[in-house]
Amino acid sequence: MPSNSDHFNSGQARRRFLKQLGLLGTAAVTSSYTLLEVRKANAAASPAVTNTKRWGLLIATDKCSSGCDDCVRGCNEEHGLTSSGRDEIDAQWIRKIDLQDKLSGRKSSLPVMCQHCESAPCVDVCPTGASFKRADGVVLVNSHTCIGCRYCMMACPYKARSFIHETLTNQLAVAPRGKGTVESCTLCVHRIDAEEDQQPACAVACSDAGHGAILFGDLNDAGSEISQKIAAQGATQIRSDLELNTGVRYTGI
Amino acid sequence: MRDSFASVRSVNATGSALKGRLSKAITAVLFAITALLFVTSSLAGDPGPVIPKGQGDECVADTAFMRRNHMDLMVHQRDDTVLEGIRGAAFSLSECVDCHAQKDEQGKAIRVDDKGQFCQSCHSYAAVKIDCFSCHAAVPDSSDNTAGLRPLPNKDSVTAGHSAEPDASPVAGLGHSLADQIKGHLQTDAQ
Repeated sequence: MPSNSDHFNSGQARRRFLKQLGLLGTAAVTSSYTLLEVRKANAAASPAVTNTKRWGLLIATDKCSSGCDDCVRGCNEEHGLTSSGRDEIDAQWIRKIDLQDKLSGRKSSLPVMCQHCESAPCVDVCPTGASFKRADGVVLVNSHTCIGCRYCMMACPYKARSFIHETLTNQLAVAPRGKGTVESCTLCVHRIDAEEDQQPACAVACSDAGHGAILFGDLNDAGSEISQKIAAQGATQIRSDLELNTGVRYTGI
Repeated sequence: MRDSFASVRSVNATGSALKGRLSKAITAVLFAITALLFVTSSLAGDPGPVIPKGQGDECVADTAFMRRNHMDLMVHQRDDTVLEGIRGAAFSLSECVDCHAQKDEQGKAIRVDDKGQFCQSCHSYAAVKIDCFSCHAAVPDSSDNTAGLRPLPNKDSVTAGHSAEPDASPVAGLGHSLADQIKGHLQTDAQ
């Protein structure tokens, strides 16, 4: 009977299918157990950043001398910023600017890096959301989603961002960098996230050289050294007229 | 009426018999193809990718799980780290590199994306391009892999060049338009 054998066949097929489904289910359960293990393995990781902290820098320009670039070198070394041989396209996360007041003739020198604005223009204009502000106020570029349009570079009033024009090799593990993306000062998040009481490389380089012009700390904590100094001495934001509420403040300009 | 029903039934019976025979034929053909593929691949001796062994006894998760899920684990952790600053979790790319980068005769680390190395051997077998290492370090961090880096030129000389200009521009060094902006702002403050 052909019709009977057909029934028999389809019954068998159904049983086989159910058996396979069962096996698949077992596999799914097994992998969900492994995922639990994954969660356990990640327990040692540092917690997600929150807005209870707001990281910032206070730069005492009276301690910063013209021609000194210890902070720039410290930054370059930390992130493996190297020269392409063409000065005009080299990445600069910190630039030294010398100023002279025309009225008084008073000179000052200051490092200018990403100012980590609260209302960051670079974040506003980014078409992909790659330029973003973390909960703790650090403004970063997510290189995975950066398309290299350089709109943020146009928007930044501080010229703090650089574009990587050429293929790079020998990048450091702490600072992934690649051609076709925009980058800037990260406030050394790889240091400050990993451990308490870590300082950005520029601040370390400056204090190691005995200048102590760069102070890093939590602007939200009224008891922190940086907040107390700002409260006592006052501090300037560069282009405060733009009302960006920068995380990097200066004294003595 | 009865006759016509009977004839319809007989047509149906013939149809299903035909279907049965057809499905059997298809199964046989499929079986033959599978068997042929199996025999061919074993004759060709395709051993799959040859993957160099990593350091230590075991990976952060078991091998079968990592083979299937490493990309999801890495993408997940990448977002956690970049967006939320979660560091030191189990599935970081740099730890993959730390364990799986081989060393050459001179003891120098070989890139994991070099031909025949851990990442590349499997990825070229599966014809999946990796672009992690156009940005990320493909060898563990050590002093010897940064030895070949060219240091940035001394900016002092650039600064000196600018400040020597007769106009005594208040702006030395780089970033003229920024310095102009700051200068303009300072003057506004002074007034």
